[in-house]
Amino acid sequence: MARKTPLSGNTDVLVDANIFIAVGEPSNPRFVQFRRAVQQAGVVLQLPQRVIGEIGGRETDRVQTALTEGWAEIIDAPDPTDGDAIAASDIARRTIATVTGTPEHTVEKADTILAGLAVQYATDRSTAGVIVLTDDKPARAGIQNAVTAQGFAGTIEVYGLADIMEVTRLKPRPSGRGYSRQLLF
Amino acid sequence: MKDLPETPLRPDGGSSALGTPPRDMMNEETLRPELLAENAGLETLVTLLTHPALARVYIYICYWGPVSPPEITESLDLSKSTAYTYVDRLVDLGLVERDESVRPQQLTAEPVLLVEPHAPIIITPTILHAFALQAVDEEIEYFVDRHGIGTLVAAVRGAGLHYAGTMTQRMVASEIDVRDTEAMMVIYALEPALIVGRDHDPYFEQLFPDVSDEMELPTFDARETTPARPEED
Repeated sequence: MARKTPLSGNTDVLVDANIFIAVGEPSNPRFVQFRRAVQQAGVVLQLPQRVIGEIGGRETDRVQTALTEGWAEIIDAPDPTDGDAIAASDIARRTIATVTGTPEHTVEKADTILAGLAVQYATDRSTAGVIVLTDDKPARAGIQNAVTAQGFAGTIEVYGLADIMEVTRLKPRPSGRGYSRQLLF
Repeated sequence: MKDLPETPLRPDGGSSALGTPPRDMMNEETLRPELLAENAGLETLVTLLTHPALARVYIYICYWGPVSPPEITESLDLSKSTAYTYVDRLVDLGLVERDESVRPQQLTAEPVLLVEPHAPIIITPTILHAFALQAVDEEIEYFVDRHGIGTLVAAVRGAGLHYAGTMTQRMVASEIDVRDTEAMMVIYALEPALIVGRDHDPYFEQLFPDVSDEMELPTFDARETTPARPEED
């Protein structure tokens, strides 16, 4: 299942906190694989303080490693002020509320702000495009719908971790004899 | 039981106190000491819920039985003596049946189900599996240390709803009252329990009556054929 990575050096890549949670600690093979995918693409991940700030405690290590090694940076992006960007966040919120069947006020702002930031980035910056990386499916649907509705479908793309690397929760056994049912235990 | 306050009755005869079980659920017959003594279920469940490593062996037998002790030793990476100790314990608790008419002996286990809608409490094999993962997954162990078993049960339910697309990870976090990233972490860590539970837990639908068919999870077979990438461990 080799994939052509959508990441490239001339795109801005905005990353949600769940990506860093999904890849595990720096010693985890998934983290190693993720770092390789990012570095090979020559990308520096943009971590909005607003969403990545949730990461703390025992999970701090993974973000810190990425920052220290230079393949990620924290951006202190203000809340979008641009009309299109605000509209994008609103559409994302409404979409998430609809697909999850919950009231709009229960949708967390951190899930919708990526849509607004992506639109703001696409408008303000001269890069070839913007990629939003989030592993939360309803959130992804919301962001996707928002950027499409605002006419950014060609410049902003939304991906999950599985789109840039092969993902598995399973831990290879020490014997390295492959995955089988015991690895689900 | 003089100190039990009288529950106000509604005109329709129901109780107006939230969460108060109907009075007729237990009666003299069901409360007979002889009957209570026969039901070892409580002790069994308490034992499983306080011993993740034991629960892990039980769930393995329950899902994959009939299995032999050597298979358990191999699959769960246990020493032979540890595996036999756990199996003996599970047989003593009445959770595992041992067939010694064949060599090697074959073990089977009935799935457990405890549903107490008034508490509310639900324990199914999927829940026990999630709990058993503490023995091998430090993220789940950390989660239970910090938030307790009740919140883990809630997290299993939340993870299922998330994979079914009806909740974002952050909504799960706010519903079960943990930090966003803790919810994300436990949702990923619980994936194996949902993957196998969906296929092997006969009570999976009791846990997810609404979304049991809607979860987007990798299928077990797809995982099995994924090549291993051994890293230094």
